[in-house]
Amino acid sequence: MPSYKLTYFKHWGRAGVLRLLFAAGGIEFEDVRIEREQWPELKPKTPMGQIPILEVDGTIICQTKAIGRLIAKEAGLAGKTPLEAAQVDMIVDGLSDLQVKIVDFFIEKDEKKKQEKIKEFAEKTLPMFLDTYEKLANSSGHFVGDALTWADVDFFSLMFFLKDHLPNDPLKGHVNLTKVRDNVTSNPGIAAWMEKETSH
Amino acid sequence: MPAYKLTYFNARGRAEPIRLLFAAAGIKYEDVRIEGADWPALKPKTPMGHLPILEVDGTTLCESTTIARFVAKRAGMVGKDDLEEAKADMIVDGVKEVFRKLLTMFFEKDESKKEELKKDVFENTLPECLRSFGKLANPSGYFVGDSLSWADVEFYNLMEMVRPSFPGDLLKDNANLSKVIANVGGNPAIAKWIKERPESAF
Repeated sequence: MPSYKLTYFKHWGRAGVLRLLFAAGGIEFEDVRIEREQWPELKPKTPMGQIPILEVDGTIICQTKAIGRLIAKEAGLAGKTPLEAAQVDMIVDGLSDLQVKIVDFFIEKDEKKKQEKIKEFAEKTLPMFLDTYEKLANSSGHFVGDALTWADVDFFSLMFFLKDHLPNDPLKGHVNLTKVRDNVTSNPGIAAWMEKETSH
Repeated sequence: MPAYKLTYFNARGRAEPIRLLFAAAGIKYEDVRIEGADWPALKPKTPMGHLPILEVDGTTLCESTTIARFVAKRAGMVGKDDLEEAKADMIVDGVKEVFRKLLTMFFEKDESKKEELKKDVFENTLPECLRSFGKLANPSGYFVGDSLSWADVEFYNLMEMVRPSFPGDLLKDNANLSKVIANVGGNPAIAKWIKERPESAF
């Protein structure tokens, strides 16, 4: 088994899902969480001036989805065939598209504009997205096949991140997506990890 | 009847890397280009309401990066192990970030905001990207291993998109990246496709 060292800030942000994937796969990794003040010194040492980065036996990989796919493959969560792998990838790509819209309101500095953007997101963008994704998930609560994949974990991770920013549970009324969330949170590795992460 | 059916608009846009990869691999496919007027009827039949889509083995895939990776895998152009595949993935993700900034710039209607965005792309986004990517490509002009991968093709396609807005040799001090461009452009199957492909505005 290669040695893994993940570096990111302390918060959930972009690396939350990566830590979940390690947990789901029972894969040991060094979970490095840096302070904001340490970032300027580290930045030029990264391939593209961003984190998270994953060091694997000395090679540095950046870009959250590239890292996620690598860990998912190691954990057996990347789909069982090339076609399934592509189906996992497309679900993850769709979540990235939503993430771009989340970042847009998240980094908005004008408070009034920020609230407008959050309102638009909560009332239009997210419901439309979830309606689409409800149809893409199956009734056993998986996006691809009949077992947990990175697609399910990535979906849960984004919903977990969003829950502090929205007034209500966005999955209310979405039967399949609620099952996806339940499947992810009942994975033993993930359950143990979430218990640790959320109990301070 | 080819086993692959790609559907997009009559444009290079998000579909061109996929077409370049099919060409490089010598894989036959149906290259369907729809009119804008036909899109509303097709849209609800797609997995996520956007194009391109690829129909293969009774399934419909969407998301251009996913489709490109799938075709590249079939073509043996993703790298030789999981780590090389991850390296190719990260390059392509970096390309997509620049692509997204270009699109934001293209679609900005406010002229003065557009000029600001263009300035930011030219002074910050592009130089930073080319500096990083120059270190990630090797002196033989490949991002992964020592043969053409989809990372090289995606980078080539990005530079093609950049050129109309930013003419001039952006790679003149970047030997590794100049070689990547030469390797992709010099691939006979890719060169043939570029010469023969349908004309489109973008």
